[in-house]
Amino acid sequence: MPANAQLQVTREATIKAVFLFNFTQFVEWPAAAHGSASSPFVIGILGDDPFGAYLDETIAGEKVATHPLMVKRYREAKEVRGCHILFINAKLLEQKDLLSSLSGRSMLTVSDAKNFTRLGGMIRLATENNKIKLEINAAAARDEKLLISSKLLRIATIFDPPDYQR
Amino acid sequence: MKSSVRICCSGLSRDGVSLRLLLLSFFVSCVGLLYAQQVKVLSASELKRLSMEELINVEVTSVSRMPQKLTEVASAVQVISGADIHRSGATNVPDALRLLTNLQVAQLSASAWIISARGFNTIFANKLLVMIDGRSIYTPLFGGVIWELQNVVLEDIDRIEVISGPGGTLWGANAVNGVINIITKKAQDTQGTYIAATAGTFVKDMAEVRHGGRIGPKLFYRVYGLHFDRAPTIRPNGEDNTDAWRMSQAGFRLDWSSTPVNNFTVQGDFYNGRRRTQGFPSDNNGQNILARWRHTFSPRSSMALQVYYDRYFRDDIPSNASDEMKTYDVDFQLSFPVRKKHRFLTGIAYRLAKDHAQFLTPLVGILPPKKDLVRYSGFIQDEITLTDSLRLTLGTKVQQHFYAGFDLQPSARLAWTFRNKSTIWSAVSRAIRTASRFDVDYFIPVTPQPPTVASVAGGPNFVSETLVAYELGYRLQPTAFTSFSVAAFYNVYGDVYSVEALPGTLTYQIQNGSEGTTWGVELSGSGKVSNQWRWRAGYTYFEKNLYAKPGHNFNPDYLGNDAKNQFMFHSIFDISRKWHFDVTARYLDYLPQTLATARVKGYVEMDARMSLDLKPFEISLVGQNLLQNRHTEFGTLAIPRSMYAKIACRF
Repeated sequence: MPANAQLQVTREATIKAVFLFNFTQFVEWPAAAHGSASSPFVIGILGDDPFGAYLDETIAGEKVATHPLMVKRYREAKEVRGCHILFINAKLLEQKDLLSSLSGRSMLTVSDAKNFTRLGGMIRLATENNKIKLEINAAAARDEKLLISSKLLRIATIFDPPDYQR
Repeated sequence: MKSSVRICCSGLSRDGVSLRLLLLSFFVSCVGLLYAQQVKVLSASELKRLSMEELINVEVTSVSRMPQKLTEVASAVQVISGADIHRSGATNVPDALRLLTNLQVAQLSASAWIISARGFNTIFANKLLVMIDGRSIYTPLFGGVIWELQNVVLEDIDRIEVISGPGGTLWGANAVNGVINIITKKAQDTQGTYIAATAGTFVKDMAEVRHGGRIGPKLFYRVYGLHFDRAPTIRPNGEDNTDAWRMSQAGFRLDWSSTPVNNFTVQGDFYNGRRRTQGFPSDNNGQNILARWRHTFSPRSSMALQVYYDRYFRDDIPSNASDEMKTYDVDFQLSFPVRKKHRFLTGIAYRLAKDHAQFLTPLVGILPPKKDLVRYSGFIQDEITLTDSLRLTLGTKVQQHFYAGFDLQPSARLAWTFRNKSTIWSAVSRAIRTASRFDVDYFIPVTPQPPTVASVAGGPNFVSETLVAYELGYRLQPTAFTSFSVAAFYNVYGDVYSVEALPGTLTYQIQNGSEGTTWGVELSGSGKVSNQWRWRAGYTYFEKNLYAKPGHNFNPDYLGNDAKNQFMFHSIFDISRKWHFDVTARYLDYLPQTLATARVKGYVEMDARMSLDLKPFEISLVGQNLLQNRHTEFGTLAIPRSMYAKIACRF
């Protein structure tokens, strides 16, 4: 890859990685999502990892309440287990039932894929005008018993069509 | 002396604008490169410290041929983003430049401004290099900028960088006291439609339309049009001056990234304007087109090739004068590393400016009326990484100029950056101001006069003015939204402009009979009170001691209507998500009386802006210069208190 294209990807990815980390502060998970007080809080990456070591560096030493943060990487959807935030590589969303197969586990789904919120994903990291904007499907998060802070909703575009059905 | 008074006064007695045609200088220079990133490259821990509001505003990419972190720049640079200009109520470029206190901005008539850095604020104001997207916009007729011809859709400005001081080797000859770099957004960042209509008292009406789109995945474009009518200033007796004016302009920009390492830009503008002047109105028009190719070899090595053509025509009926300038410019720059520690930047440029200054009166003239001004220039600089935190930049510019011959302008800059957050820097540079047509070819009257009759017979022996600048600065940027900068300078000028009678005659010639020193301090900063409230502020202190060289007889007070103190505070406040309230307040110290200009009182003025965001509409109400019924900034004409309402739509 040409050098400067690589640099651009990296910078964009670093900002997205920090968003993933910040979501731990702005979303409330139901108590059942945690095993014990010391069980890890997992940020998962499904498919190719765009963040490299940067996400690990971002969460190093950080905690969500009493839960130490951890990054897990999955090749396929069926490997996903005990995960709280799942970043899904856009390429995998071509699989039709991917999102529904991940439901029912109080998992915050995040991606930068184009139709992500429309497909039932929760937060889309959209690159607009050279900046990362948030697009949130609040109904999808509610269905998974996730409480998204109003602070986050305030700066996001809300995708919440009345005819939205899971 | 009598005659030089006459030069100035004959200009001032008109609407102030013709002064530009009477007193001048000339510089040429090369495309500036220093591209100070407003948002620095942030580490994980730095990004984590940002609030979510800040995070959604961090730029994803900052591509440039010479990216440099703002914190590491070894010059006195102040930057304002397009977003912050939007939050000020500014309606044109000079308004926006008031938000940067390393500049002194004075409006002298409805369509004329004089803008300077580090002193020499006069109708001369000839020591700045000013560029829009790499196109130089000061006229080689007199070395200053005809601001009425420089109109930009403010919505499409990415940022304005102002460097006070010689700025460095790569900036070229006119960058004696500073560089203004107006940078518009790339076409990919102005996608969609923007329509705005403004109605008010001083800005009577303004309409702006821009549409951006894409042709294929890699080619982006925008086209725009704007039109405005502006009201006259007020004469000392309270009557309206005859200087209302209007302008219509259209243009485009194309950005094509054929591959990630090749970026092409083509952009152009054309405009047509009319000023009301005593007697008949005066028209102006102009066209420009620029093409640039940037190629990246590696993260530390790139090249850029730029060509442009610019033409303007400006008539001034009261002084029976018009000027047409056609400029052809080619500029090539290359940057490459040598081993690990050196980064070289080098460039060559050619510029041909074909001037036609026509006077329809025998009383004043630029002789000969037509002249081709050719300049070849080159520069080389080496940025040496001495240690992880210490960088030394050595360079020089060389120039072969029609009027000036061969010139060398070396500089040395040392920057010590610690913990990536703050930089102490120091610089010594030599800069020159080459002669302009108005320094060399200016005659009153046009026919030779006997020594017993007062006349001005050009500046046949005029040579370049010189500056050696010593600078010391400190800059701190703990987060992307907090910054502090202080820069101190001591400037030593030689061979500065004078107008003096040849011994025993009344024949005046333009000479290099002045010299002296200037010094001062520039402070600027920005910060956040809360997530809803940000501020920017600046303060500049300026002192000078200019005098006639031994054996010369000229009062150099006349060379600068400079304020000792100026202060600016800009508050940006989100009352709620929808309501915004912004205020700018500024103080400018008095301007002393000179032999050609009246004393101008110091003043405090304030602009306020209230806006309501009803996506896709934005409605704003702005009051400008609210504190006084009217105030004077230069000469005798007054700027009235004014209001305007604006409705904008983005979709």
